[in-house]
Amino acid sequence: MNETALQAVAVHKRYRLGRQEIPVLRGVDLAVARGETVALLGASGAGKSTLLHVLGLLDAPSAGEIRFDGRRVDDLPVRERAALRHRHVGFVFQFYHLIPELTALQNVLLAQMMAISPLAYWRVRKQARADAEAMLERVGLQDRLRHRPTELSGGERQRVAIARALMASPQALLADEPTGNLDSHTAAGVCELLFDIQRQRGLALLLVTHDEGLARRCHRTVRMKDGVVER
Amino acid sequence: MIDAFSPYVAWRYLLTRRINLLAVGGVMFAVWAILLVDSVFTGFVSQIRSDVRASACDLMVTELPHDASYEALRAAIEADADVVATAPRLRHHGMLQQVRVRAGSARNQGSSQVDFDHTANGFALLIGIDPAREEAIGGLRQWLVRGPEELAQRYPGDFWPSPALDETDAGRKGRLAMPDADEWRARRRAGLAHEPDVANQRGAWPGVLLGWQRIRRLGWFARSEPFDVVCASFTGGDGDAVLHTHSARVGFAGVFATGSRAADEGMALLPIETLRTMLGHDAADPGSVDVVTDVAVRLRPGLGAAAVAAAGARLRDRVNAALPPGSPSCLVADWEQQNVTFLSAVAHEQGMMQFVLFVVMLVAAFVIYATLHMMVVQKVKDIGILAAIGGSPRSVGAVFLLGGLAVALFGTALGLGVGVLSAANLNAANEWMYANFQLELFPRRLFDLREVPCRLEPSWAATVAVGAIALAVVVAAVPARKAARMNPVLCLAHE
Ligand SMILES: Nc1ncnc2c1ncn2[C@@H]1O[C@H](COP(=O)(O)OP(=O)(O)OP(=O)(O)O)[C@@H](O)[C@H]1O
Ligand SMILES: [Mg+2]
Repeated sequence: MNETALQAVAVHKRYRLGRQEIPVLRGVDLAVARGETVALLGASGAGKSTLLHVLGLLDAPSAGEIRFDGRRVDDLPVRERAALRHRHVGFVFQFYHLIPELTALQNVLLAQMMAISPLAYWRVRKQARADAEAMLERVGLQDRLRHRPTELSGGERQRVAIARALMASPQALLADEPTGNLDSHTAAGVCELLFDIQRQRGLALLLVTHDEGLARRCHRTVRMKDGVVER
Repeated sequence: MIDAFSPYVAWRYLLTRRINLLAVGGVMFAVWAILLVDSVFTGFVSQIRSDVRASACDLMVTELPHDASYEALRAAIEADADVVATAPRLRHHGMLQQVRVRAGSARNQGSSQVDFDHTANGFALLIGIDPAREEAIGGLRQWLVRGPEELAQRYPGDFWPSPALDETDAGRKGRLAMPDADEWRARRRAGLAHEPDVANQRGAWPGVLLGWQRIRRLGWFARSEPFDVVCASFTGGDGDAVLHTHSARVGFAGVFATGSRAADEGMALLPIETLRTMLGHDAADPGSVDVVTDVAVRLRPGLGAAAVAAAGARLRDRVNAALPPGSPSCLVADWEQQNVTFLSAVAHEQGMMQFVLFVVMLVAAFVIYATLHMMVVQKVKDIGILAAIGGSPRSVGAVFLLGGLAVALFGTALGLGVGVLSAANLNAANEWMYANFQLELFPRRLFDLREVPCRLEPSWAATVAVGAIALAVVVAAVPARKAARMNPVLCLAHE
């Protein structure tokens, strides 16, 4: 239970805007253990999303280290970082980020097609499809497999996104205001699902939110301000 | 290696985005146009080449001294084991005019106007031939069959084939003489002296053979209709050269078609002795020379290009040895060298055409580029999403590269299919368009062809297909690279 699934060590992130360097993260240390839920709070612009991206290897830190299961990963080649991003972490975003051309099922299937050659995928496609259908059933969308994102409600879209994030059986979930775009009732449902799955699978969950109530349901709350974690 | 999602997403994009049809259509059109236009061109070129080949002899000994004697050269040339036959040719510029026109109208009299249309005004390249020997060289009989055919294809009327070669009497055949009764009728019609009784008329006129393109301009003539042939030469020099004109009366003996437009317009064939006489070398004169300007050579059939070249070199040495000492070397030209300017002009034109078609292909490639670029711009968010769920930059780029490849594959396949079909049915389609809409896509009358020659070379089709696909991949690589290099975080934030 105490293994750190995800760890940021003295992470700095600076953005360069013209000649100016904007420090967004200024030495962040944060660890999330397996089975642990951490709420990340902070004012808008504090750097929460940036930290999430850096932690999920979607963006490179300017300085510091990212560790998965205690192993440094931010210095790996780009291809391996992509594979780890696929295998180790799942992202859930505020605006769902589904591909509009694909149905719910196809969006979830997409997560099965990462880090695998077309030929290898072809051999397991039936199993992949069955898994994707099962996953959608798990998030309560068994009747929405063939719906496009535009034909789904916000809550349903977020469920599809959660299903997609879970498809590769990651050890950590990085959720950036997953309910920020939903009404409170729908938000409650999505949160229930998220915590349920987290508990079931013993995932590390880092949850960015502005909702203190939601934060209180997590094991731990971390506050950020101006690019640093408040102690 | 790429990930499985790349082809999958590329395929989904293709199916859901109709703009890609435009790119597929563009590639299809370009491939189709290239195949069709080029196969018509290839057809034209091969037809032209075979026409030229048919009207050219295997080897032509030319650039001989002005008083070269045929008999001397013949002995030298025919001594070669590869030579089957030779024929003398005597080239001289001249004019010819219908007797009837000159007698009946004053059309050209007193006119200082220069008319450069040599088919209409009578300028001609006079070629003196020995009909019997020409038959051994080949070609002449075929030309005389095709001449009336070409005219009959285009104009109503009764175009008789020349009887000159079927003459059994060797002397008459050598003069390309027409039957005596024909000459009698022609004399009477033209108001020239003739026997009162047709049975007593003895033909005196040598025959002249004219190209069908000239006939097309001048109109068809009755058998043995008289022409006057004129040529001119200078004697003396050093400022007081004297111009001599020589003329002969000949009868119209038929029409030929060689397949070469220049020859069919400008050439007039007449018995070599007639032309020799005009040039002061009448066989009966003492000291006359059986002059030739060229000797046509027929080689043993089945010789390869190398053997023909070797034979050409041997003949040049033999002829040079037979010429008087100090003469400049002769030239021995094979059929391609005999028509080198014409053939290289045709090849050049085909090259130009292929360049134009390549530009069409570039436009199609640009359409692919534009649609893919647009796709990358519109799909920025998807690029971020794919990266977030684990897509490597290379695989994300591959989505767009494969999209371009698929567009090119479909477009090329369709273009090949339509191209092959339309090449096969080109003449039928051309006829149909003309019959129903008075529209002729390929105006074969313009080129004096019976049908549009169309030859689709499989190697060319393969080249075009591979080229189109390769070009599309190169062009698609630009937006693909752009997509691969995007920062996923910025993509996700993109509105
Ligand atoms: N690509 C970028 N270039 C320059 N500055 C950036 C870039 N991305 C983020 N920033 C800046 O970094 C700071 C932190 O942004 P971030 O999105 O991490 O904030 P946040 O805590 O998630 O805020 P919110 O609660 O509003 O989502 C902001 O001030 C933002 O302007
Ligand atoms: Mg944020």
